[in-house]
Amino acid sequence: MNSKTRLFYLLPYVLWIGLFVVTPILLVVYYSFFDLHGNFTFANYEKLFTFVYMKMIASSFWYAFLITVFCLLIAYPAAYFITKTKYKQLLLLLVILPSWINLLLKAYAFLGIFSTYGAANNFLEVVGIGAQQILFTDFSFVFVSVYIFIPFMLLPIFNALDKLNPALIDASRDLGASAWTTFRKVVFPLTLSGVKSGVQAVFIPALSLFMITRLIAGNRVITLGTAIEQHFLVTQDWGMGSAIAVFLIITMFVIMIVTGTRKRGIQ
Amino acid sequence: MEKEVIIRFDNVTKRYDSDTVVLDHVSFEIERGKFYTLLGPSGCGKTTILRLIAGFTEASEGDIYFNGKRINQVPANKRQVNTVFQDYALFPHLNVYENVAFGLRIKKVKQAEVDRRVKEALRFVNLSGYENREITEMSGGQRQRVAIARAIVNEPEVILLDEPLSALDLKLRTEMQYELRDLQKRLGITFIFVTHDQEEALAMSDEIFVLHEGRIEQSGTPTDIYDEPINRFVADFIGESNIVPGKMIKDFEVEFAGKVFECVDQGLNPNESVEVVIRPEDLEITSWDKGKIQVKVDSQLFRGVHYEMLCYDEAKNEWLVHSTKKAIVGEEIGLNFEPEAIHVMRLGETEEEFDKRLESYQEARHEQ
Repeated sequence: MNSKTRLFYLLPYVLWIGLFVVTPILLVVYYSFFDLHGNFTFANYEKLFTFVYMKMIASSFWYAFLITVFCLLIAYPAAYFITKTKYKQLLLLLVILPSWINLLLKAYAFLGIFSTYGAANNFLEVVGIGAQQILFTDFSFVFVSVYIFIPFMLLPIFNALDKLNPALIDASRDLGASAWTTFRKVVFPLTLSGVKSGVQAVFIPALSLFMITRLIAGNRVITLGTAIEQHFLVTQDWGMGSAIAVFLIITMFVIMIVTGTRKRGIQ
Repeated sequence: MEKEVIIRFDNVTKRYDSDTVVLDHVSFEIERGKFYTLLGPSGCGKTTILRLIAGFTEASEGDIYFNGKRINQVPANKRQVNTVFQDYALFPHLNVYENVAFGLRIKKVKQAEVDRRVKEALRFVNLSGYENREITEMSGGQRQRVAIARAIVNEPEVILLDEPLSALDLKLRTEMQYELRDLQKRLGITFIFVTHDQEEALAMSDEIFVLHEGRIEQSGTPTDIYDEPINRFVADFIGESNIVPGKMIKDFEVEFAGKVFECVDQGLNPNESVEVVIRPEDLEITSWDKGKIQVKVDSQLFRGVHYEMLCYDEAKNEWLVHSTKKAIVGEEIGLNFEPEAIHVMRLGETEEEFDKRLESYQEARHEQ
C-alpha cells in the first residue's frame, strides 16, 4: 500500500478519534480547572479528597466490585456450560440477544416487575413470603446491573474457553490431576485473559452507572456517574463534574493497565 | 525371561452414538517392556485404543485389564500410564520446567525431588539447560521432547504415543525415530505407539498391530508382517506390493500370470484360488528370454535409492519393480524372482487360521 492510500484510510480514524475522543477529554480536563465563576482553581480536585466525595468514590467502587463479582460468578459457569453443549451458537445468541435492546427500556421493564404490585411481588405473595419493598434497594440495583452486564462478561470468557485446546485437559488428567485441579491449574489460568477482558468490560462502565441508580435505586445509591450527571445538569458546576470525570478516566487507565498485563510463565 | 502381560483387552467394543462402531470386539495382550505399534489408516480405531488405555473414553463392551486388574471404570488420573499427545498438548502458560514438573506437583512430590527428576528427564531427552524457556520459544522437535520428558518423569509403567512424530519434517522424524527407540530401550518402559506411517512402524517396533475398520487384521514382528501379510489389506498397507490372482495347484506349486511356479507355501486345498504377493524389491530385471515372467515397461521413476518401474504382463497384471538397474520405457523385459519371494494369501483367512495352518505344517515338517 503506498503512503497516499494509507493516509486516505487513516483519515476517518484520525477524525473520529480527534473529534470524539481526544477533544472531549481535553475539554473535560480544561473545565476541571475552573470554578463556578470561571476562575482558574485546583479546588475541584481538592474537593475530591473530602469525606463526602471519598465516600461516594468508595461506594462507587464497592458497587462496581459487587456487580463485577456477581457477573463473573454467573458468567463463567454459564460460558463453560455453553461451550460443552451441541448448540453453542444458539445458546450464546440467546444470552447476547437482550443486550441489543435499549438499556432504558430494560430498566423500565424492571420498574414494572419490581414494583409493589409487580410480577416479583405477586410471586412472593403466592409462595407465602408476602410483598416486599424490592425497588429502590441495593439488591434491585445490583440485580438489574448484573442482568445488564452479563453478556459483556460472558462473551470474552466464552471465547477464551472455546479456544482452549481440549487436549490440554486430557493431558492434565493424564498427568494425575483431578477435575478440580485441572480447572485450577490449567483451565482457569488459560482463560484468565477472557476473565480480564470481561472484568474490564463490566467494572469500568459499572463505575459510572447513573441511569440505573436513578431509576432502580431511586438515587439511594450515589455513584460517581450520578455525581457527574448532577453537577452538569442540576448544580451546573461543570468544573466539579469534570474533575470527577477526569478521576474516572484515570481510574479506567489504571484498571486497563492492571488487568491488561500479560505475564507469561506463571510459577 | 517370563513374559509378563501388562495390558489385556478382552473383546472390547467401542461405539459412538450407539451405532458407529469404532472398535469391533478387539482382543490383544501387551507385554511389559516392549515397543508396540498400532498401525492403520485414519479412522481404523488406533487412537481409540490409546484413549481407552489412557482412560479418556470408556469401552461400550468388553474388559480392559491392567496388571491383571479390570480398569474400565478407573479415571484417567488414577492410571499408571502417561500419554505423549499428537499436538504435544504442552501447557502454554507454563515454562519447560513447570510443564515437566506438572505431574510431580500434582502428586505433591518434595521440591528437591521434583528438581532432581525434572532435570534428569530433561537430560534424558537432551534438553538440559532449557528449563526456563517458554513453550512458544521451542521448536517442533524440542516441544516433542518436552512432551516425552513430561511423560517419563512420572515413571509410568506404560507410555502411550499418539502419532507424536507426524508434525515433524522428514529428517527430524527419522532422527526422533532412532531417539524414541533408544529411549524405550534405556528406560525399559512399555511403549505403545500409534501411527499411520508403515515405515515408522517397521523401523521402531518389537510388535505391530495392523488395524483396519475397528479390527486387528494382523499382529506380529515387523518382519512377520512384512514377509507374511495375511491378506490384501495388510500386504497393500505395509510396504508396496504386487498382488495378483492365482491358483494353488498343490503344495509348493502355484499358478499365476499364466504359468506355474515353485513356492514355499503349503497346507492349502488343491486348486484353491489365492492371491499371490511379490514385493517390488524381490523382482529382478533381466533379459526377455531369461525372465520367469515377461513384461513391458510402462513407466519409470527415479527414486534416489532405486528406480521404480511400472510394468504390465500379457494378462494385464500390473508389476511394480524396484531395481537399482535402469530399464527403457516401452521395452519388453523379463522378471526373475526366488521361490521364497512368492507369498501366497488365502482369501478371507483370519490371523488365527493362518497361524494354525503355519503351525500344522511346521509340525508336519518335524515329523518327517
